[in-house]
Amino acid sequence: MPDILVISAELAWPLAILLAWLAGEFVHRWSGLPRISVYGLVGFLLAQGFPQLFATDSSSPVTLLANLAFGLILFEFGYRINLHWLRINPWILVSGLVESIATFGAVYFISNMSGMPVLTSLLLASLAMSTSPAGVLRVINEGRSSGQVTERVLHLVAINSVLAVFVFKVIVGFWVFQTSGSLPQAVSHSFIELIASALLGVVAGALLPAILRHLGNLARDGTIAFALVVVLLVAITHAADLSPVLATLTFGLTARHNRVTFSRTQRNFGAIGEVLTVLLFVFAVSTLDWDRVVTGAWLGMILLMARFAVKTLAVGAFSHVSGTPWRKGFASGVALSPMSVFVILLLEQTKNMGIVLVDELAALAAMTLFMEVLGPIITQRALTWAREIHKEES
Amino acid sequence: MALEEFKASQPLTMGVELELQLVSFSDYDLTASSPDLLHLLGRKPFPGNVTPEITESMIEINTDVHTKHSELLAQLQLIRDTLVTAGEKLNVGIAGGGTHPFQKWVERRIFAKPRFKEVSALYGYLAKQFTIFGQHVHIGCASGDDALYLLHSLSRYVPHFIALSASSPFVQGGDTLFNSARLNSVFAFPMSGRAPFLLSWDEFEHSFFSKMEHTGVIKSMKDFYWDIRPKPEYGTIELRVCDTPLTVERAAALACYLQALCAYLLERREAAPEEDDYLVYNYNRFQACRFGLDGTVVHPKTYESLSLREDILTTLRRMDPYAEKLGGTAALNHLMQVTHVGSDAQYLRDQFAATGSVEGVVDAAVRRFRGA
Repeated sequence: MPDILVISAELAWPLAILLAWLAGEFVHRWSGLPRISVYGLVGFLLAQGFPQLFATDSSSPVTLLANLAFGLILFEFGYRINLHWLRINPWILVSGLVESIATFGAVYFISNMSGMPVLTSLLLASLAMSTSPAGVLRVINEGRSSGQVTERVLHLVAINSVLAVFVFKVIVGFWVFQTSGSLPQAVSHSFIELIASALLGVVAGALLPAILRHLGNLARDGTIAFALVVVLLVAITHAADLSPVLATLTFGLTARHNRVTFSRTQRNFGAIGEVLTVLLFVFAVSTLDWDRVVTGAWLGMILLMARFAVKTLAVGAFSHVSGTPWRKGFASGVALSPMSVFVILLLEQTKNMGIVLVDELAALAAMTLFMEVLGPIITQRALTWAREIHKEES
Repeated sequence: MALEEFKASQPLTMGVELELQLVSFSDYDLTASSPDLLHLLGRKPFPGNVTPEITESMIEINTDVHTKHSELLAQLQLIRDTLVTAGEKLNVGIAGGGTHPFQKWVERRIFAKPRFKEVSALYGYLAKQFTIFGQHVHIGCASGDDALYLLHSLSRYVPHFIALSASSPFVQGGDTLFNSARLNSVFAFPMSGRAPFLLSWDEFEHSFFSKMEHTGVIKSMKDFYWDIRPKPEYGTIELRVCDTPLTVERAAALACYLQALCAYLLERREAAPEEDDYLVYNYNRFQACRFGLDGTVVHPKTYESLSLREDILTTLRRMDPYAEKLGGTAALNHLMQVTHVGSDAQYLRDQFAATGSVEGVVDAAVRRFRGA
């Protein structure tokens, strides 16, 4: 007779995903709150309740699937970015840069004042710049949101996420340099990784549309082809220690700008994409530890409030000049709240390098948990306030 | 409320209304961006007028009153440039075309305006299916009687305008095989179709409108979705069968063709309109919607079968002297070209063949509207 513990370990993840999905549906119907907030909450509670069952490492299938889910979301995200717009309306780019840099500065300053070491503060600040593309895109798709705030949030998130990856990798490079004393190793870990990842995405994004075009009408729906290439990119980056985030994002971006053929991509990559998203959000917070969250709660809360204020004000300040009403400008800043999944996956990656940053960053664990649950709700409320979330007419 | 008096206006003046699509550059679907666009356009004087429409993914523009093709065209081009510039600043594409090739009506949002909400409550999905885009042309009339005379005399020419403006072959992602599928959505409304055959404004007001009002079915002229309807408050008749063309140049040409036709009809050289003209009306209209310029129509007086393309060419030639007098020769030449190279519907089908997808069709429509 098989051991009951072994069985429960085998069943833990499938059951957790099912439970999270059911809870998400139930709460969404009952309260209208975003489903992903519920997924995160369920994931966190289960992981705290049964820590052995939900323990994962960077090579576990669940981690790989979570990276794949994130890759699909990032591709879809990149596919919605229009670089031409940033040229025509440079204020969008300016507000993105200003809010990212200001967030970095504010978080670094507060963290440093609270007695954190410089490097830890720098890491915190770089991660706090980013808004989670997964959280934002899911809320937008779930509410069928459309309008100026939706467009701006998508583009601002792309800007701050790329900046965050870039700055984070550079700081990790220095960290490696400090601990190992080898500058070549540090450089190779950062710049080469960034460039190689981006190149990988660019090449895939240039080749695939051309192949689809040759397939002609067979390729009317590009979803499958895009999904397969995302799987491939995630596998390659995983094997070669590159950044899946950058590779999939640039793949989406390049595919969109190279679409010699216009193929439709299903929102969220259809039902399988939905399943993977549940897994991603459950997985992301299962990596957090309650003790660390408690330890970092105070600092985390202060940093979150600073981040929220800086992002709202920095984006809102450019409302008028960028062609939108103040209300919508500030709503765009408020909607940039989510910051969970992205941060966790970046940190998971550094484990491969033997750097366990999560232990250093208790405040980050707290920020991540709050924002995993609250971030999507704030984004949803901001989009509703801007009257861009679709409400069914009764 | 009683029907307002027909306000006399200068005969043969014209004005154009265009309903335009707002398209997302991410996925080429419609985007609910009219509040954003109206906000930005509100910051500077607009070279005409711009208003929200029933769903947030469309806007309506209208020109001032004009007498000449060159002036109308200049204003339409200025309006287009203003719109395109504002759209680009907001990452919103603007396009003509009678339907959006693949939008799903389920996903449309109704603009928060009481009248639109009422319409939505009454007509259910028809209101959202009404996410279609038409060109309306107003022609000034000296009196209500003239307006009704023109309205019924023009019925024979309605297929011309359908075929020349047709730009809605794709609906919900597929080719409908119609050149103008948009009008099929209009026909679903109970108050669509043709106006009752009355030639005296007095009679129209007392024996038709007030009775209709009494039934409680309608409240104002706005409740009629006729192909051509009188607009007493403007002192015009309004032709409503045209799809929004892909370019403002075509929109201006269609308006001037109507202007020339009205000038000709007002001379009353043609046999006067009769109720029996309408025997073939629906059939002819169907032929124009389904086959466009390749359709076959039946002459309402002689019952002769005519190729629609030939009938248009003959009429265009007959209108030459009138257009010349009104300064609209270039407009008729433009339409002459259309009969040779094909309508916008044909252009959109060609784009579908070239790009292999409906998204490619929308992209082509956005570029064409821009004048690229």
